[in-house]
Amino acid sequence: MPENQQPRIGVYICHCGGNISGAVQCESVAKALKGLPNVTITRTDESMCSDAGQSLIEKDIQELGINRVVVGACAPMLHEQTFRGAVTRAGLNPFLYHHVGLREQDSWVHGHDKTAATDKALRLMSAGVAKARLLQPLDPIRLGAEKHALVIGGGVAGLRAALDIARQGLRVTLIEKSPFLGGRMAQLETVFPTEEEARALLHDLIQKVTAHPNVTIFMGAEVMGVSGYVGNFTIQVKQHSRGVSDDNAEALMSACTQEVPDPFNYGLTKRKVIYRPYEGCYSSTPAVDWDHYDGRPFDVNGWPIELKDEPKSFELNVGAVVVATGFDPYTPPQGEYGFGELPQVVTLPQLIRHLALSKDGKSLQWNGRAVRDVALIHCVGSRQVDGVHQPQEDGQVNNYCSRVCCTASLHMTADLHKRYPELNIYDLHQDIRTYGRGHEEYYRHALEDGVRFLRYNGEEVPEVSPAPQGDSHPVLVKVKDMLTYGEEIEIPVDLVVLAVGFMPRDLHGLDKMLKISRGNDRFLLEVHPKLRPVETAVKGVILAGSAQGPMNIQESLSAASAAAAKVASLLGRGKVELPPFVAAVDVEKCNGTGACVEACVYEGAIALQTFNENGEEVKRAVITPANCVGCGACVAVCPNNAVNVQGWTLAQYEAMVEAIGMDLPAMTEVTA
Amino acid sequence: MDDLHMDALVIGGGIAGMQSALDLGDQGFQVALVERDPSIGGRMITLSKVFPTLDCCSCITTPKMSAVAHHPNIHLYTYCEIQSVQEHGAGFDVSILQKPRYVDISKCTGCRECEYECPITVPSPFDRNLGAYRAIRVPFSTAVPQKAVLDPEYCLWCGKCEQKCPVEAIDFSQQPETFTIEADSIIMATGFDLTPVSTKKEYGAGKLHNVIDPLMMERFLAPTGPYGRVLRPGDGKEPGSIAYVQCAGSRDETLGITYCSRVCCMYAIKQAMLLNGALPMADITIYYMDIRTFGKGYEQFYQNAKAMGVNFVRGKVASIREDADQNPILKVEMTDTGEIVEQTFDLVVLSQGIVPASHPTVSLPLGSDGFISVPAPDSAPCVTGRPGIFVTGTAAGPMDIVDSIVSASAAAAEASAYIRENGSRLEVEKEALYA
Repeated sequence: MPENQQPRIGVYICHCGGNISGAVQCESVAKALKGLPNVTITRTDESMCSDAGQSLIEKDIQELGINRVVVGACAPMLHEQTFRGAVTRAGLNPFLYHHVGLREQDSWVHGHDKTAATDKALRLMSAGVAKARLLQPLDPIRLGAEKHALVIGGGVAGLRAALDIARQGLRVTLIEKSPFLGGRMAQLETVFPTEEEARALLHDLIQKVTAHPNVTIFMGAEVMGVSGYVGNFTIQVKQHSRGVSDDNAEALMSACTQEVPDPFNYGLTKRKVIYRPYEGCYSSTPAVDWDHYDGRPFDVNGWPIELKDEPKSFELNVGAVVVATGFDPYTPPQGEYGFGELPQVVTLPQLIRHLALSKDGKSLQWNGRAVRDVALIHCVGSRQVDGVHQPQEDGQVNNYCSRVCCTASLHMTADLHKRYPELNIYDLHQDIRTYGRGHEEYYRHALEDGVRFLRYNGEEVPEVSPAPQGDSHPVLVKVKDMLTYGEEIEIPVDLVVLAVGFMPRDLHGLDKMLKISRGNDRFLLEVHPKLRPVETAVKGVILAGSAQGPMNIQESLSAASAAAAKVASLLGRGKVELPPFVAAVDVEKCNGTGACVEACVYEGAIALQTFNENGEEVKRAVITPANCVGCGACVAVCPNNAVNVQGWTLAQYEAMVEAIGMDLPAMTEVTA
Repeated sequence: MDDLHMDALVIGGGIAGMQSALDLGDQGFQVALVERDPSIGGRMITLSKVFPTLDCCSCITTPKMSAVAHHPNIHLYTYCEIQSVQEHGAGFDVSILQKPRYVDISKCTGCRECEYECPITVPSPFDRNLGAYRAIRVPFSTAVPQKAVLDPEYCLWCGKCEQKCPVEAIDFSQQPETFTIEADSIIMATGFDLTPVSTKKEYGAGKLHNVIDPLMMERFLAPTGPYGRVLRPGDGKEPGSIAYVQCAGSRDETLGITYCSRVCCMYAIKQAMLLNGALPMADITIYYMDIRTFGKGYEQFYQNAKAMGVNFVRGKVASIREDADQNPILKVEMTDTGEIVEQTFDLVVLSQGIVPASHPTVSLPLGSDGFISVPAPDSAPCVTGRPGIFVTGTAAGPMDIVDSIVSASAAAAEASAYIRENGSRLEVEKEALYA
């Protein structure tokens, strides 16, 4: 085996297309490293990660007998795996490779001082070489994987992900927090750009999902706990009772008198606490709204019947988790554009529900009167500006674009114009972002339909106030319109529609349980928007749909199918590999103090076991690699230095620290 | 060549096609990836940096190219054209033309000795013809495969390359060859071209010296670019003022292209930011109708560009002409003030949009916009009007790289489900997929 021979180290420095070579004199660094013990060859390349660059390394391994490889390039997160792959192809153990992050740790942060950047590069690289001398071959931890995925969320993204995973021949369990499937899409009437019925599309999808033999569905269920790792997650689930059955539902529903604002209609109507959100919903069996049910018994034919939520708890063993938890429409705070103060101010989702509920009629009715003039304000809760808008709980404003609202707004104006051709519509926007295929047509139709467009600057938002007494309209909208060169325009209207954006959801700890993070915009964060756009930093936890950021239905479907493709790649073979960077005990040095066991915060990762040593019972620490994350807490507390994290041993660290501090003879010449 | 049977055939080796092939290959399917050019990488490999992360483009693209090249389940066919696609059961017989490289790729090592020896210099389309390479060459430094290709249009057949080649890979006798791949499913990843402006007389019809297209600017800004710096193509002068004309060829009824091309706002802003670094003293102005920075992190990117001093002006550029020194002069209708102003710049970039690339011979229903039709975008965004054929990336309409990559994985999911449900490979083999 080449790895057991004397180290012959190949050192490669990547220009990273100018990213590194712009600050670091790569050739000089390579030259200086050449003199280090065990360094057989040093090279630089425009782009080491390219196929040509990787071939260079492979060739050196095969032709020069290189048996340790160090590459100075971008952050290891980006391309460490790429180079481990190259090393493996050339027949070397992948863990005889060390990656130095010259770009993130050096050239990007020290671009202003090229001498210092070059000096630092040399030190980081020589530390890498020092570590490489001590690298030992390692084997990844190979484990069986459950060919079973969990999808969290029963909206359009979750349903699509579940269907596509099932179609790949894997088992899927879908859990949905509410007692009904469909999510936000069920609240829509038609979808753009095809003008198909949202619910017809949705129910076609639900039908396919529920009919698929690989799919199990739990409604009214939520995740209470997560443990394990890719291939072998254990998920604690709690499922609430439905409260009624098909046999007693109708009787109980007619006996039920307690009513609450209906969230399905965004509070425009009331519904009973035993309910179906809409006709034709799935499941068709009604459910009890336990959050609001006051607990009083129902009188059914003289019999008092009290309903109780008796939640069931159970565990699921799954190999991967798809998070399709969706979004909430932005709810303006009291007073933003008159919301919550003036009854004539509604959000776009509310208006969609209002129109769905008032199918008939020659004119649009609102708050007891006919509407003749409507103002539609874009970017409510989106593209917010610091100092102008009220910040969210974390002190930040929603500075992102919600992507969907422009087309959704003009989709609405088209619908309004079709139903009520007499209506005057004013559209107050910053930019019209009808970017998608077939979306620009809505903009063109709106212009043809006579929608009046006014353009405001983000810092000077329109004002909405009650109209003066005796005015013909109840509300006055004032806007500084840039299309008329900054003229202050007053528009008396009967209704103001706020095109509210997407809000990231409070997941009640689910993100913490899954150990996934959120971006600055508070939406769930992908690893890399281009390299791995639907995966999270936690292997086996994958995103689908608007939990990740604003998306329309088409985009959510694509993201969900992409998530399914990732799940299929991950679990299809029924086994997964985990990196070997876990604790390892040197039994010669261990004398069973147990300090490591106390320091460990991961369940089942390290334990003391009794061994028979020369007829004597002794305790020794034993690692369960699958449960160890390689955090090193045990390493720090061991009085005998008996524990090390494989691939990152104390000896390797010491060698690196020493090398970083040492001035190489060539250094003065290089950095002079 | 042999007749071959694949689970899927992906047409187009750009970022979308590569991602679809990787996702299918990772699941154990046998995939043929067919590319028209001598190297995979598509448009993306020619770009400088990508928005909104400003990662260097080759850092994202080349590893994917490499992964494709080394994937045990992906079979790469470069420099090939699709000739016909015929239904065969639930799958297809795809007839493919292998164009002659005049280089035996089983022998060529990519050492480039032929290239160093070749006396003929020809414009390099990889550099948007701003740079040059030889009549025989490895297409570009990070090309996959790293194999030479000879351009018969320019070659003098002097034979120097043949004499120099250490492995006797040069083969002047190569002829076009046709072979057939039987595939259970097809993914169209045929990409885009820039909207043509040759008919846009108001903007100089492509004849003005210092009015360039955005892909040229990408090459100027790329570290591997032809000059390693930003220069006016007209006279090699370093530009002190640069203007971007947005929606040049999108949302434009006069050209019959009424749709939004989705990427132009973001690439203009990105290039403006990069120019800010490359030419710190240069003034950069972006003339626009609407700024459409709708993607994740894009609006914040736009605001950063504003804060960096990029000048955003809402105005419709009515026409462009040039003065005696070949400086482009823009005539702009300023939407915010109503004035019509004339402004002279050193360099103008037309933010051209996206039109479908010329299609290979695969008969598919197209939308009114010319892109491959997707009959049910809100239930099956990658499914075309022909069963078993799926579409991804810009073949289905303008899309940025992030959306293309997601769409590529989605197309792979659709194709793999189709293969499982309809594929003709033996049941035993299908079982073995997941063994």
